[in-house]
Amino acid sequence: MNGEELTEQETALYDRQIRVWGADAQRRLSKSHILVYGMKGTIAEFCKNIVLAGVGSLTLVDDRDVSEEALSANFLIPPDESVCRGKTLAELCCDSLREFNPMVRVSVEKGDLASLGAEFFDKFDVVVISCCSLATKKLINEKCRKLSKRVSFYTVDCRDCCGEIFVDLQKYNYAKKKTDGTAECELQYPSFQEAISVPWKSLRPKVSKLYFAMRVIERFEEAEKRKPREISIEDLPAVLKLKKELCEEQSLNESHIPDTLLERLVMGAKEFPPVCAIIGGTLGQEVIKAISSKGDPLKNFFFFDATDGKGMIEDISNPNLLS
Amino acid sequence: MGVSCGKQGKLTITDDDVIEKSNLSRQFLFRDWNIGQAKSTVAASAAALINPHLRIEALQNRVGSQTENVFDDTFWENLTAVVNALDNVNARLYVDQRCLYFQKPLLESGTLGAKCNTQMVIPHLTENYGASRDPPEKQAPMCTVHSFPHNIDHCLTWARSEFEGLVEKTPAEVNAYLSNPVEYINAMNKAGDAQSRDTLEHVLECLEKEKCDTFQDCITWARLRFEDYFADRVKQLIFTFPEEASTSTGAPFWSAPKRFPHPLQFSVVDPSHLNFVMAASILRAETFGISVPEWVKHPKTMAEAVGKVIVPEFQPREDVKIETDEKATTLSSASVDDAAVINELIRKLEQCRKKLPPGFRMMPIQFEKDDDTNYHMDLIAGLANMRARNYSIPEVDKLKAKFIAGRIIPAIATSTAMATGLVCLELYKVLDGGHKVEDYRNTFANLALPLFSMAEPVPPKVIKHQDLSWTVWDRWILKNNPTLKELLQWLKYKGLDAYSISHGSCLLYNSMFPRHRDRMDRKVVDLVREVAKVELPAYRHHFDVVVACEDDEGNDVDIPPVSIYFS
Repeated sequence: MNGEELTEQETALYDRQIRVWGADAQRRLSKSHILVYGMKGTIAEFCKNIVLAGVGSLTLVDDRDVSEEALSANFLIPPDESVCRGKTLAELCCDSLREFNPMVRVSVEKGDLASLGAEFFDKFDVVVISCCSLATKKLINEKCRKLSKRVSFYTVDCRDCCGEIFVDLQKYNYAKKKTDGTAECELQYPSFQEAISVPWKSLRPKVSKLYFAMRVIERFEEAEKRKPREISIEDLPAVLKLKKELCEEQSLNESHIPDTLLERLVMGAKEFPPVCAIIGGTLGQEVIKAISSKGDPLKNFFFFDATDGKGMIEDISNPNLLS
Repeated sequence: MGVSCGKQGKLTITDDDVIEKSNLSRQFLFRDWNIGQAKSTVAASAAALINPHLRIEALQNRVGSQTENVFDDTFWENLTAVVNALDNVNARLYVDQRCLYFQKPLLESGTLGAKCNTQMVIPHLTENYGASRDPPEKQAPMCTVHSFPHNIDHCLTWARSEFEGLVEKTPAEVNAYLSNPVEYINAMNKAGDAQSRDTLEHVLECLEKEKCDTFQDCITWARLRFEDYFADRVKQLIFTFPEEASTSTGAPFWSAPKRFPHPLQFSVVDPSHLNFVMAASILRAETFGISVPEWVKHPKTMAEAVGKVIVPEFQPREDVKIETDEKATTLSSASVDDAAVINELIRKLEQCRKKLPPGFRMMPIQFEKDDDTNYHMDLIAGLANMRARNYSIPEVDKLKAKFIAGRIIPAIATSTAMATGLVCLELYKVLDGGHKVEDYRNTFANLALPLFSMAEPVPPKVIKHQDLSWTVWDRWILKNNPTLKELLQWLKYKGLDAYSISHGSCLLYNSMFPRHRDRMDRKVVDLVREVAKVELPAYRHHFDVVVACEDDEGNDVDIPPVSIYFS
């Protein structure tokens, strides 16, 4: 990937997508470095998409062993037990992803993401994390924001048959397409901490219920010192109690967070492959847009719920809180 | 998801295409070493590796009226659902008709760049795919493409058409003639029209005046093509319609959107002129089986060779007719003596043929857009851009030319994944069964904006009669090999008086004819075989009849087709 021009190989392989986003965007993609944490089904779909798109490099972090749950929605994991033995989720996914596009450098980084320092994160243009606790999300987001270069930060979580994507592009400049040419546009994104601190009452009345439900679950897992998704049906009464407390605290009517929705999220450890494809596709395109600086990026939350089939974009940011 | 992974499950996939490099950027079941192999078989193997429980059969047939012996009644009847992954509307319409007929759910989707959409077609719950159609894409009128282009699309359409004519169609016609001269000549005489005359003229040119034996001949041909297309024809056009010309109503002829052209002056110093001649001569040589010397690729030596070509003076003529009517669909203008001209052409052709070496054939070239070394796109882009230059239309680079001329659809993995995910969510509902129309979703998404919109599918249009009602999904079914009498009785019970029954275009029964009363006790299937003289293929268990009925008040009622099962 040296030099400015795309090679003949690249032009032939990426022909159909160059016609969507142009050769310039393709060049930028080929120079980009992505860090991904949490190799579940949705992330597998996301990785597949960006590897096929031709990013420069992809680094995977996930030291967990293969589980039944991982196999149910992660198509990168071979079903052969003998192949899986002794390898972490990241290592297995890495092997599969390399096959999709030999021009992308896919590698594994071992260790606890939270303990890695600024020099490590500085290597990347995009950081995507999944299956993280509230504390980890805030921590990684801050590490990215403290770097001198702008790093695009995303979280993605799928529970039951719904999913949430959070986007933080910090101060983002891009050429917005208008009917008669382009116009320079600047967007200011809040950090994860800033976004979730926005008072619930000040949000628009029809804001996605999934936003609140996810926050309740997040807070519950943190308060009980659980690992992400280490939650089951027995916890439901406690979760509902926490919801009541939070709604009171935020002066929000409880009807905004249906008990049935919380129940689904509490029970929903397994992912649904179609939902992974939908969320992974959306996230893939967002990352491609951010790297190529082409196209209107999502600001700043995306929700999808298969029970009503709705995909909703919510801008949860308070202008007063943004620095 | 585990679909078709149980003992009774089966997934049948079919595609007649092979894998090419540009597929790999989103068709992730394929690898580099699969290029050239059949898409369906490779996809099946790759999918089975992801889930070894998958029971899958891979076929390589197109789905259409030609393959109804493969996808026969039993095949369709045994399906639970159909998922489309087609790239054209006609195939979609065909599958839609089949699903309508066999009452099968159809999960339809499509992508275009970052956009995707999904549509659910559920028997009796939703309208079918064909019920609402996008308006057909407007094609430029023939005279616009041929004489009055005003944008690069017109130039590219013309270029693609000329390309195919020059390197594929004409050589193929030459071969058709040489392989079977007697048959070919008879066919031409029988048609005796302007189109046959034009075809014969082209064939004769290839074998007589413009026959190429050496590479220099090809250069000559290419240089003269340049002169004809981009100088002579324009000179003729502006002679027939000068800049100040007016139409029959007195308005200026060359008013917008028409653009007044100017002829090009060929120059070996102009790289685009030279490249045109190079590409054209290389492909011409290929059609004549002449090898291309190395020096052709070097501008200096090429320029020298092109300079040697003697280009005759051109004089525009008074009597040339140029089509200006936008509604005209053909360019060949018929004339009174076409038959006589054809005879003369044939006479000359026969003379040429006798002089040819035995077994002489040309080599037609099929347009292959993705091979960057074959000069196909070079010639098409060259034709289009030189024409654009004539009409002062902005030119395009090869990449853009390939996109438009090659009718390529831009595609990316993300929207593809999204469409697939949305369809699979609907598949859960289809397989679960018993869902209402409100539970299903048709969606549209554009990841570039981003935009996500979904809606419930639209129910089908309902037709009513007494206490009966039906939609396009309904087929009235009558089993057990009924007689004509039994069929009429069955309709009588529904309060319908059938007065005419037909199969295809053949009348099986009409209450007006006394003779038809003799048919009452005959099995309807026998009437189809004897009266309609239809041979029902072995795999067919039923046939359909269209019945014209009246209600008790003598009003006509449009009833669904009646499927009669005889085995």
